[in-house]
Amino acid sequence: MASKFGLAGGIPERRVRPIWDAIDSRQFKNALKLLTSLLSKYPKSPYALALKALIHERMGKPDEALTVCLDAKELLYKDDSSLMDDLTLSTLQIVFQRLDHLDLATGCYAHACGRFPNNLELMMGLFNCYVREYSFVKQQLTAIKMYKLAGEERFLLWAVCSIQLQVLCDKSGEKLLLLAEGLLKKHIASHSMHEPEALMVYISLLEQQSKYKDALEVLSGNLGSLLVIEVDKLRIQGRLLARARDYSAAVDVYKKILELSPDDWECFLQYLSCLFEDDSMWKFFDDIDQIHPTKNIECKFSHLTEEMFDSRISSASELVQKLQRDTENSNLRGPHLAEIEIEKRKFLYGKKNDSELLKSLLQYFLKFGHLACYASDVEAFLQVLPPHKKAEFVGMLVENADSVSASATTVLGQTTTILKVQELTGNIFELPLGEIEASAVKLAKLYCQNLPLSKDLDPQESMFGEELLSLINNMLVQLYWRTRDFCYLAEAIMVLELGLAIRGHVWQYKILLLHIYSYIGALPLAFERYKALDVKNILTETVSHHILRQMLESPMWVDLYNLLQDYLKFMDDHLKESADLTFLAYRHRNYSKVIEFVLFKQRLQQSNQYEAARVEASLLQLKQNADSIEEEERVLENLKSGVQLVELSNEMGSRTLRFNEDMQTRPWWTPCPEKNYLLGSFEDFSYCPKENVNKDREENVKRSIQRKSLLPRMVYLSIQCSATALKESLETKGSGGDLKTCEELKSLLEEYTKTLGSSFSDAVEMITEISQGARTFETLGSDLVDWLNFAVFWNAWSLSSQEHWHVLNMLFERLILDRIKSMGSSEMSSCYSDVQVLVQIITEPLAWHSLIIQACTRSSLPSGKKKKKAQHSDHLPSSPMSQAIKDSIHSLCSTVQEVSNWLLNKINNPEDDQVERFLTTLKRNEGPGQVLGVLESFIATSEESEVGSRIFESLKTWSKADSARKTVTAQQRVLREFLQICESKRKLLEKLKQQMTHV
Amino acid sequence: MTTIRRFSCNDLLRFTSVNLDHLTETFNMSFYMTYLARWPDYFHVAEGPGNRVMGYIMGKVEGQGESWHGHVTAVTVSPKYRRQQLAKKLMNLLEEISDKIDKAYFVDLFVRASNTPAIKMYEKLGYIIYRRVLRYYSGEEDGLDMRKALSRDVEKKSVIPLKRPITPDELEYD
Repeated sequence: MASKFGLAGGIPERRVRPIWDAIDSRQFKNALKLLTSLLSKYPKSPYALALKALIHERMGKPDEALTVCLDAKELLYKDDSSLMDDLTLSTLQIVFQRLDHLDLATGCYAHACGRFPNNLELMMGLFNCYVREYSFVKQQLTAIKMYKLAGEERFLLWAVCSIQLQVLCDKSGEKLLLLAEGLLKKHIASHSMHEPEALMVYISLLEQQSKYKDALEVLSGNLGSLLVIEVDKLRIQGRLLARARDYSAAVDVYKKILELSPDDWECFLQYLSCLFEDDSMWKFFDDIDQIHPTKNIECKFSHLTEEMFDSRISSASELVQKLQRDTENSNLRGPHLAEIEIEKRKFLYGKKNDSELLKSLLQYFLKFGHLACYASDVEAFLQVLPPHKKAEFVGMLVENADSVSASATTVLGQTTTILKVQELTGNIFELPLGEIEASAVKLAKLYCQNLPLSKDLDPQESMFGEELLSLINNMLVQLYWRTRDFCYLAEAIMVLELGLAIRGHVWQYKILLLHIYSYIGALPLAFERYKALDVKNILTETVSHHILRQMLESPMWVDLYNLLQDYLKFMDDHLKESADLTFLAYRHRNYSKVIEFVLFKQRLQQSNQYEAARVEASLLQLKQNADSIEEEERVLENLKSGVQLVELSNEMGSRTLRFNEDMQTRPWWTPCPEKNYLLGSFEDFSYCPKENVNKDREENVKRSIQRKSLLPRMVYLSIQCSATALKESLETKGSGGDLKTCEELKSLLEEYTKTLGSSFSDAVEMITEISQGARTFETLGSDLVDWLNFAVFWNAWSLSSQEHWHVLNMLFERLILDRIKSMGSSEMSSCYSDVQVLVQIITEPLAWHSLIIQACTRSSLPSGKKKKKAQHSDHLPSSPMSQAIKDSIHSLCSTVQEVSNWLLNKINNPEDDQVERFLTTLKRNEGPGQVLGVLESFIATSEESEVGSRIFESLKTWSKADSARKTVTAQQRVLREFLQICESKRKLLEKLKQQMTHV
Repeated sequence: MTTIRRFSCNDLLRFTSVNLDHLTETFNMSFYMTYLARWPDYFHVAEGPGNRVMGYIMGKVEGQGESWHGHVTAVTVSPKYRRQQLAKKLMNLLEEISDKIDKAYFVDLFVRASNTPAIKMYEKLGYIIYRRVLRYYSGEEDGLDMRKALSRDVEKKSVIPLKRPITPDELEYD
């Protein structure tokens, strides 16, 4: 801000500077005071007014700011003098932008440019406005004008980028690219080209039109010298040759790159693709959606005869051997991994060389098996092996691991690697229980033995054997899954908590704990672990999936609110500021970044998580205020009665959703938020690969967003339908509800059932049968809450039908009471998934239904003073509908009471007893508990001189009982929060019951 | 096996496991994007097989006259890929760009005075402690300004250590 000095609108700098200083130091009152005196001298100065508007905006007075801005704008338009400078305009633009009136800022600049057509500075301002608006066509036209005026290369490139963006984002015809190419050619012919970024744009433009040969010519011509780094140039050349299908030339180029940088893995893969004349890799790289790690890139060989294949593979082998020789004294992994890649290709071709493939993997293990990256390096190769070969390979590793001559760190590294390979191959899921248990015990011993290695490490540094605890935890969770013995899970918690006590920085432990705590209903602790990950900025997009779903299904509304707000704020802020950064890239002539920034903004805007979070944030407000119809109506008013969300729902089908979450960091038992293997039985699965779940998710996520975004409108319409229904039924025995509202609600209900994969009539049949016990509610699957929501709004649509009320009451009763019965006196740890469902039923369908009842009763009761005498309900006769409402209230009341009773029963269970029970599960003579036993006996016997004072201290201060208590306390908190919600609902229903006694 | 290439916006969605490490700061978007928009040649990512992010370096070039220099803002390597000299490769790349493309006189960086492992690493890479900046980190911990001279600084004038420590407000650049 402070840089915006100068003579603006005829005001001397010395008079303006103190005002900017005050604004910059946030002394807005002072700034306003100074400004008032400035305005007294220059009352007609648009610049002074713009400053005033800015101060108002900063003081949080947007309406005043807008009025002043509009005054300034009017003056600007009227004033014929030359006061229309960039400083005034850019100040106005800042305020307009903050007020979400970009169009007005653009209008000012457009007007100014019309008045002073040859002013480059103003035109740049106008261009900037169009960048903010993402108006690529207008950007192009403005840039061309600037180019014509100044003849500068950069303006031409601005125009070219704007054209590329039209083709990429607006799907404009590719003919435009030809126009851009023509403009560039003409410019180069007369002025040549001077910047490497401009050359990159030129090449990308040709590439976009598949003119690879032309691009190659440009690159090998004079302009090619703009690229100073040889490897960069070769990479582009190789890519162009490959795309032009000039494979033999491409192979030579890639060979050159590999000689210059023998560790370049991507280049090696491209080399192989060209050698085998296989274009599948290029298709993969063309996919701009590609952000998730790729395990397997398709390989095509069918077009090659065996002879051709053999000769090519042998030339690849020769190259790899040469690379290995050349890098003999270095520890580069590339040339050695390349050897495995060659064996893999042979294997995929059908060469039956599995033993060679295993041998090459083993060689790689002997060389690099101690490194933490071995397992992920070879993951793609393991995937192509048949199951028995995978098992054979694990056997080979165990046999060949160096346990004698190697250093302790090597042994540790290799052992860790073997376990990771066992996980990757699924081998670990096939082992007998006893073997897994023994292995976990062995690892625990290894961890303890090696703690002294970390004695002198800085607490910030990763410790030796850190990964072992994660691996042990994975085994314990598997043991729990297979046996359902909670002790294993309790043990898993203890192992990780101890790990965190020793070194609190290990994020892997925190994520594992977060998921275990979530599973057993210790959600506050899960959230604490999540917060300890320090997830902020872009990580909110990639990491919050770990906790978001559990929080949405929990009663922890305050924490959920903060979580959603933090995330949405990050996204909204970025979407707002992104264009400014794009303009920065334009100004600094980094044109490739211009395109990248625009596409990236689009990608974030299309994030499935962002869409879902926006809907959920609205729903959360509705849930939080559902006990007061007046509050709820205020929320609905802010949500524009749910209209915008319905539009979102309608558009969702044709929208592209992006999945930016990083699922790689999730534990094996929950590879994506919607899936948790621990909820099913082990027998149903044999192997849990961390599959790339995005494709399956897209449809489900879309449907879920579609469905949820209908809810606010349905709540609104239901209230409208109910508002007069009871009164009408009392007075005229009519069916209630205004016809138009009812029709809209019906059509939304139809949309809603579609997202559940059912027709309206089938849906009605389904819920009716379930309410009668003719069908079990298991048929509703995981969409149970959504079906119940349907039932609620279906009833609201047809309030006069007593039968519908009855169906709904029965549904609530059955779904809730059955669940309570099945939970019985189970520990929270084993029934939290049921609690989660109850939370959702109470806070959504039951809450909406209570609202509808509130709307019904409100209309029938004397509310305002004027109605008091005229419409006293005592005088109204009772109707079947009022009886239906009474029954429903009665039914809901007792159902909610049951939930409260169950919760109270749990909460009243003394905490000490629960802690004791938790700890007792861990005390066993055999079976579970052994791992913890190893760790505990190590703690008891360890000595400070051996492990160093820091580790010694953490070992001694760690307490199993503390961890147990924290878990129990966290579980209790969830129950208490839920009880509070239930009690509030019950009180509301009691109140309604009272009111209805008058009807 | 390391492919080092320019960092792109999509890499922000892929560097999770590197950035979850507590020593790696996750900056706000405008910070990353300003670097990308202004100094794309100074922002590189190292990728392993399966397109996994191994680490990255971000930096800039700034200054006037003989203080025209490359600056390392952040360099980070995932714990999974440490002890393979990746940081060295990334640093060398930034030095090469500062030297060959931008013809800078030196490269500098700031490090916490207590971060002995990092200081040792930079010293191995040829960096010299040029000066101490008092309470540079959040007004608490001292920072060390380390420098390495490039070919343009023939007499290595830029790396002659300053005798006295300075305060953050005496710094020429942020």
